[in-house]
Amino acid sequence: MTVKRITRRSLLGLDLNKSNKKINLNPEWPTPKVASIYKKYLQDQLPVYLPNPTSDNPPSIQIIPTIRSLPTVDWNEVTATHLLKRILPAPRYDEIQTISQQSLDDTLTQILENQPLPDPPGAWATEAPPEWDTLSEDDILALIETYNERMFSLMDWWIIRMTQTPVSITESMTLFWHDHFATSHSKVFYPQAMFEQNQVIREHGLGNFKTLLRKITFGPAMMIWLDTHGSKKWHPNENFGRELLELFTLGVDNYTQEDIEEASRAFTGYVTNGLLTNYDYNTQVGWGVWWEDWHDFDEKIFLGQTGNWTGDEIINIILEQEETAQFLCQKIYQWFVYESADEVIVNEMATIMRNNDYEIKPVLEFLFSSEHFYNVALRGAKIRNPLSVIQGTVRQFDLADATYPDLFFIQTHHFLGMLPLQPPDVSGWPGYRTWINSISLPIRKLLTTSFIDGNSPLGQLNDSIDMIAFAISMYNPDENQFASVQMVQKCSLLLFGVPLSEAMEADLLSVLLDGAEPYDWYIDAPENNGQWDRFRDMLRFMMKKPEFQLS
Amino acid sequence: MKRRDFIKSSIALSILGKQIPLLAYNRPRHFQRRSTQWDSDRIVILIKLNGGNDGLNTIVPINNDIYYQKRSNLSINPSDTLLISEDSGFHPSMAPIMNLYQNDKMGIIHGVGYPDPNLSHFRSSDIWVTGSNSNEHWNTGWLGRLFQLEYPDFPDNAPEFPLAIQFNSANLLEFQMDGTNAGNMVFDPEVMYQIVTGNYIPSENDPPPETAGGSELSFIREVDMNTFEYSGVIYDSAVNGTTTVDYPNSDIATQLALTSKLISGGLNTPVYRLSQSGYDTHANQLEIHAELLSDVCEAVQAFITDMENQGLQDRVLVVTTSEFGRRVEDNYSNGTDHGTSGPMMVFGSQAHSGILGNQPRLDELDQNNNLLNQYDFRQLYSTLITDWFGLPQDVAETVFQSPFETIPFIRNPLSTIKPIPIASNFKVEPAFPNPFNPATQIRYHLPKKSSVRIRLLDSKGRELKTYLQGELQEGDHTFILDGNNLSSGLYFLQVESGGTALSQKVTLLK
Repeated sequence: MTVKRITRRSLLGLDLNKSNKKINLNPEWPTPKVASIYKKYLQDQLPVYLPNPTSDNPPSIQIIPTIRSLPTVDWNEVTATHLLKRILPAPRYDEIQTISQQSLDDTLTQILENQPLPDPPGAWATEAPPEWDTLSEDDILALIETYNERMFSLMDWWIIRMTQTPVSITESMTLFWHDHFATSHSKVFYPQAMFEQNQVIREHGLGNFKTLLRKITFGPAMMIWLDTHGSKKWHPNENFGRELLELFTLGVDNYTQEDIEEASRAFTGYVTNGLLTNYDYNTQVGWGVWWEDWHDFDEKIFLGQTGNWTGDEIINIILEQEETAQFLCQKIYQWFVYESADEVIVNEMATIMRNNDYEIKPVLEFLFSSEHFYNVALRGAKIRNPLSVIQGTVRQFDLADATYPDLFFIQTHHFLGMLPLQPPDVSGWPGYRTWINSISLPIRKLLTTSFIDGNSPLGQLNDSIDMIAFAISMYNPDENQFASVQMVQKCSLLLFGVPLSEAMEADLLSVLLDGAEPYDWYIDAPENNGQWDRFRDMLRFMMKKPEFQLS
Repeated sequence: MKRRDFIKSSIALSILGKQIPLLAYNRPRHFQRRSTQWDSDRIVILIKLNGGNDGLNTIVPINNDIYYQKRSNLSINPSDTLLISEDSGFHPSMAPIMNLYQNDKMGIIHGVGYPDPNLSHFRSSDIWVTGSNSNEHWNTGWLGRLFQLEYPDFPDNAPEFPLAIQFNSANLLEFQMDGTNAGNMVFDPEVMYQIVTGNYIPSENDPPPETAGGSELSFIREVDMNTFEYSGVIYDSAVNGTTTVDYPNSDIATQLALTSKLISGGLNTPVYRLSQSGYDTHANQLEIHAELLSDVCEAVQAFITDMENQGLQDRVLVVTTSEFGRRVEDNYSNGTDHGTSGPMMVFGSQAHSGILGNQPRLDELDQNNNLLNQYDFRQLYSTLITDWFGLPQDVAETVFQSPFETIPFIRNPLSTIKPIPIASNFKVEPAFPNPFNPATQIRYHLPKKSSVRIRLLDSKGRELKTYLQGELQEGDHTFILDGNNLSSGLYFLQVESGGTALSQKVTLLK
């Protein structure tokens, strides 16, 4: 695969600011020479638009929280749509029909089922790193280029999986954990390390959080990303210790600076070459000369407990804390439900998580079968992230198999601020209202409407939305409604987060009918009939409305 | 103009799917006056040194042995620094701004932070932008609250220019008001203008549902509408504006160049927030930090020159901020970990030159071995509100919910009622009559015999005239301003005695 370098101007023809986040690379990683060549290489790389964290507080929810399950009678097309919108980039109409016709229990079994692990994007995924010292400067640069191409192909591999996913929570959950353990490729350097982390998330993202946390912590990617690799007892690096407590488990304010320092002492002596580590998952200790020389075997006082803790034991102590399940469940709630977490529901989720020894599925089962999750006040309360908006549109309109210009999705998500493997920093994507601003909103509209005629600012697509097939997929001759009215209602169900208002219904109908009567618009009109242009106009209109940004 | 009216008048333009050349509709060209109390034309450009700038390696304490001991791998030799005082030298990369410092166009404020510092980037950044205490979580920004006091109906009755412009970063918490946001994120104005106007459909007569979903919908509608309105204004300014110097090729320089263009093009936005990333130097600090400082100093130098060339120098003030400084002792990775307070830099012809505060003490640290603060960042921001923008002291107090003493880093302060830092009995009373025509008088009280100078400044803070009063006795005195040769408008009368200048705002109505 040839990878075109993204230059400043090639991106939408915009004269973008170069806002490369300077990543603080380890000056000795993998060797000082490689690090210096790599640093120069990165400086010539693409510009990044990165949203920053916010603590924009969402309004709280005005509904009485109840941990009751959704009554069977309320499981219908509308509630099924709500569930599918929250666990997929975006659902198709036929999927909604199928899901709403089976029981909620069966649906949960289906969406929470473990998916088979996908094949790696290339044989390189398990390739051993070279003997860097034997390579010339040119060889090193060439390999860096190759690594960069592999990172791109890994991103593409993942993004495309999002459009091709069956009705399953797996892709959304994988993205959730990536956002939680946010690791960025440019510092990690080895594509095989990023791939390994992704596989760990896929394998354990619906499993047990303890296992997931361990495998992430001691995986090559995290060890490099937060400087556990090479941290030595006489001067432990605090980076991982701090983020482990603040961002991965307890949340801010539940520990002290001393706890960070003591934890950091325990995370010494671990090393990796980008593929392998000196840590044995089975015995849960390190081995070898670095472990012996660099690991701090002395006594540490962590969260009030004294002992000669290793990194694993620090994790055990963290998992004993009530706050950990609380913190995780709050984030799960915010990811799937709404930014302002409901305390009663989160408490119940956390109790379930603790009672099930950090198993993740029971928590999700509870959430997705609760009456609370389906409350009408929460419809449209999620602002869609860029992957949902773009990959969702591709999925929804059956454009997964179209041929896209080189690096189309990578450029798109780069621009909209959510390129997988490239979170803005270790706290992940700030999400929520930061997705929408005076730049991202118009560009979201521009890019999604361009799928309608296949003419994108990033290049021509060889395919565009098949209006007629899309309309037919939604049409039901047995419904006592004009086809035009059916189109308006079903497109709204699919594309808008909030319930269709009367004013909006009238607007959409007038765009669709353009002066004609509701009965003039019929489903088997020939392809060259102008009514299909009106249908196209209506979809464009919908994509430009703020309602489209919600799910 | 009411926003709803604006939307109605332009509704015909947004026919779906078609790109309408929106230049065709009438946008008034000379509307850009600030209203309410906010009469000053002054502009502040805030630059965040993102990640936590290492103050000790910025303004180097060249005589401090502890610095050289604790920074065994990272210290900067005295001979390599650019000497600015007996005990301090600039980092060598700051050469481009040395001439600003030498020509009294730069000030330094040491030890800016806040009590009980938080060492998390995210928390500490939030504290800086909200202006809360470290144990409080506020969800509006200090600038958002400031704007809300001036424009309580925002976005209705909003000024016809964006209140704040931020480049690159979408985190607009600093401009968050109660329920709405005054910040605008900007980059290429021309392209944005075309994209925005071609994709806007107003939402009329369709109130959002009263649900959580409805409140998110309102938020997006509001961004949508503001983007549409302001993209045209920003576009006009960018097209009319110009730059007079070649800006260096760095991200921060690009942001400053665009800022210059917008100001030069007549955009009256009072606040710009720029940022430069990369200061979280946990590893390999020497090289990274040198490059960052060099980028920002070259860019600021170019910007100040540009403003001078265009005669705009008295209207702009550049201020750097950073969420925290760094640890005194270096770490094993040739870097430094998160610290607390640090020096802030102020640039411009209106910057009060020199050094405020002292080199931080390295022998007296907090319990985490970090520097103690000398100034609260809210003092810095309060000073911008009162002395730079000329808003009353109680506005600053309301914004921060408690009074913060101002810091004298502005050459010609516009404050109307000012706490008195030195001569505690020196007072200037409000002018009477005000508004006035043709004359008004102010009374002032001298605590002791001293010489007095009274200056008349225009709304931009430019000095129009100086009235030397000579040596006066202790007690009350009166000055009468004759407005016969002045045109209608806002002025500041500034009484200076014993090194302190107090101002009163007066309006001449003819």
